[in-house]
Amino acid sequence: MRRSVFIAGLAAGLALGVGLFGTSWNRSVAEAQQKASPTEVKVDNFSFGPVTLTVPVGTTVTWINRDDIPHTIVSTDDPKAFKSKVLDTDEKFSFAFSKPGTYPYFCSIHPKMTGKVIAQ
Amino acid sequence: MHPFDIKTVLFAKHAQHVVLIHFPIALFIIGVLFDFLAQWKKQPLLAAAAYYNLLVAAMATIPAVVTGILAWQWELEGQKLKGILLMHLVMGCLSTVLIWVVWFVHRRTRRKQQEVLPGYRLPIAAVAVVIVAVTGHLGGFLSGVNGPG
Repeated sequence: MRRSVFIAGLAAGLALGVGLFGTSWNRSVAEAQQKASPTEVKVDNFSFGPVTLTVPVGTTVTWINRDDIPHTIVSTDDPKAFKSKVLDTDEKFSFAFSKPGTYPYFCSIHPKMTGKVIAQ
Repeated sequence: MHPFDIKTVLFAKHAQHVVLIHFPIALFIIGVLFDFLAQWKKQPLLAAAAYYNLLVAAMATIPAVVTGILAWQWELEGQKLKGILLMHLVMGCLSTVLIWVVWFVHRRTRRKQQEVLPGYRLPIAAVAVVIVAVTGHLGGFLSGVNGPG
């Protein structure tokens, strides 16, 4: 009886350990993937971060305004590939890059703020 | 980028509104200063200096307002404004109206060839200076004068 309780306890402990390891491993893989291909551009302190973002074709890039003042995300190309509305603090704008190419953009309120997305 | 394209001229690197807006602000504040000095010193010459500063300030509001509205219509495609941008627009319009009102009071007195300017113009002018200052502060905040580079 005592032996079977011990074996059951050992099995439960083993299962728990494997589960925890699996979860942690999955999380670290997800984090690594996120670090390897970020799809978010932070707008803060009158700059885009990262200034140049390289993504696989088909990726949706999201810009998020973390600044205290409004900004826009406007493609420099003619015709414009994308153009956001005015983004207030914490507002987001997303665009899916379905074709390969280099997409320069700027903030139309502050034209010195420029960035680039490379879809490849 | 064409050098004679009106949008290029107005918005190349720095919007002209940001440049032009300094003229009515400076002229109006100096005009009001002369106006207060004229009241204090009882000097008609200072009142005349105030009048001409206010006249040019009022005229300088026209290109400032036009370029500001064009920036809104062209760069932001006239989209509905909110937050600081909306506040700046409302305060800017209010500032413009008050600058013209203060000038008009001086103009009317001169046309009627009265020597004494009405006293009520001074509180209006003082309020206008505060509103102009707040509008300018919001504009500076929006343009990023405190930002890097």
